Amino acid sequence: MSQSSGNHDLFENLRLELRRGCLSLAVLSQLRTERYGYTLRKALAEQGLEIDESTLYPLLRRLETQGLLTSVWREEDKRNKRFYRLSPEGKQMLKQLGTEWQKINASLNGIL
Amino acid sequence: MELLDRYLHAVEFWLPKRQRGDIVAELSEDLRSQIEEKEAELGRKLDETEVESILKRCGSPLMVALRYRPQQYLIGPTLFPLYRFVLTILLLGCIVPRTVIWLVFLFFDPVHTGYLHMENMVSTLMFFAFLTTVAFAILERNAALRDRLNTWNPRKLPAVRDPKRIPRGNSLFEIAGLVVMTVWFTSTFKPSAVFDLFGAQITVAPTWKTIFWGVMLSTTGTIAIAVTNLFRPYWTPLRAALRLTVDVLGALVFCWFLKSQIVIAITVPSLPATKAIKLVGVINVLLLQTLPWAVVVMLIIAVCDIYRIVRLRRPTQRAAGPQVDDLSHSIVNGR
Repeated sequence: MSQSSGNHDLFENLRLELRRGCLSLAVLSQLRTERYGYTLRKALAEQGLEIDESTLYPLLRRLETQGLLTSVWREEDKRNKRFYRLSPEGKQMLKQLGTEWQKINASLNGIL
Repeated sequence: MELLDRYLHAVEFWLPKRQRGDIVAELSEDLRSQIEEKEAELGRKLDETEVESILKRCGSPLMVALRYRPQQYLIGPTLFPLYRFVLTILLLGCIVPRTVIWLVFLFFDPVHTGYLHMENMVSTLMFFAFLTTVAFAILERNAALRDRLNTWNPRKLPAVRDPKRIPRGNSLFEIAGLVVMTVWFTSTFKPSAVFDLFGAQITVAPTWKTIFWGVMLSTTGTIAIAVTNLFRPYWTPLRAALRLTVDVLGALVFCWFLKSQIVIAITVPSLPATKAIKLVGVINVLLLQTLPWAVVVMLIIAVCDIYRIVRLRRPTQRAAGPQVDDLSHSIVNGR
């Protein structure tokens, strides 16, 4: 393995690590309005945060199990789709995480 | 859509049973939306290759399904380094001594190598690895045991040892032991071809004289080093090398003693000549059979001596930064 590919792998690992923590916050923020998986992915991608389906759906399930989201199956365009939205606990959590994110962001801006 | 159905079926196989239907319906909806969107963009149906590329991008069925399962592990990341350390020590402790003993026997006493049962080595290793893994898996799942591991006190941590320092107690113990041994050795044995021992007259091989002086030389050398260590209790490369030399000399002399059929005759007034000859044979065989074990002990001593020399050559961690003494020196000198 060459040094440049090693560096690239390292960068990729660190980038994924950095992203992982932000995804929950991004998903919660987008679910202030009701969406189903595919439109949620598109909304995040439009904001520059690409997320693949095998990452998003398990994350949605986890957040729902934690009581931060509620979901409902409903027919739209002749197809059954699962719609997600923030639960009251999710709204509270989004507020707290948002504040925390602002703090971290401010600190890092100062440091960097 | 045959490819898509096959893909979803494959994902479903690995999913948790209770959520299968739900997850597959949701994933199916997403993939169908992607396909429809692409079709709308191109104005035609997607061919198999294009559907294939969408599915490939989604990930292998196993990997996709595994993401829906909770993260499970036998031994978690906290305990894993400890597990690996214990396993390494156990396996090395099982492999290295046995292999060394087997190799020594192969050279010095090949007839008895069978007693070491080397053919059982793999099963022994598997057994140790299995037991260690089970023990750590139990530890991982037992919160009370884990908490006990986490209760610690900095005051109870072992003191930092300076590898160069020689405890004075060790040197004193070594000197006392060697002096007692030398007094016993010189009062019991003589550097002559015939000497009396416990009322028996022992005739020994001519090599005995050399062995006797070899033992004396090695013991004297060891005592000299121990005395030096007592007054200058820090290993130096020279002293460590001398210690290795003296130990190797002692080892060679001792092995020579065991191997050289040293006893020629034993004369005891009450012992018939035939029995005395048998006794001489038994003593020489016993000495010879001790040889492989003696070689193993000598090897261990030599390895320890060599390790000491290597450790002395290695720069210590503290050398990287200023020493406390250096700092206080700087403060005193106003630097």
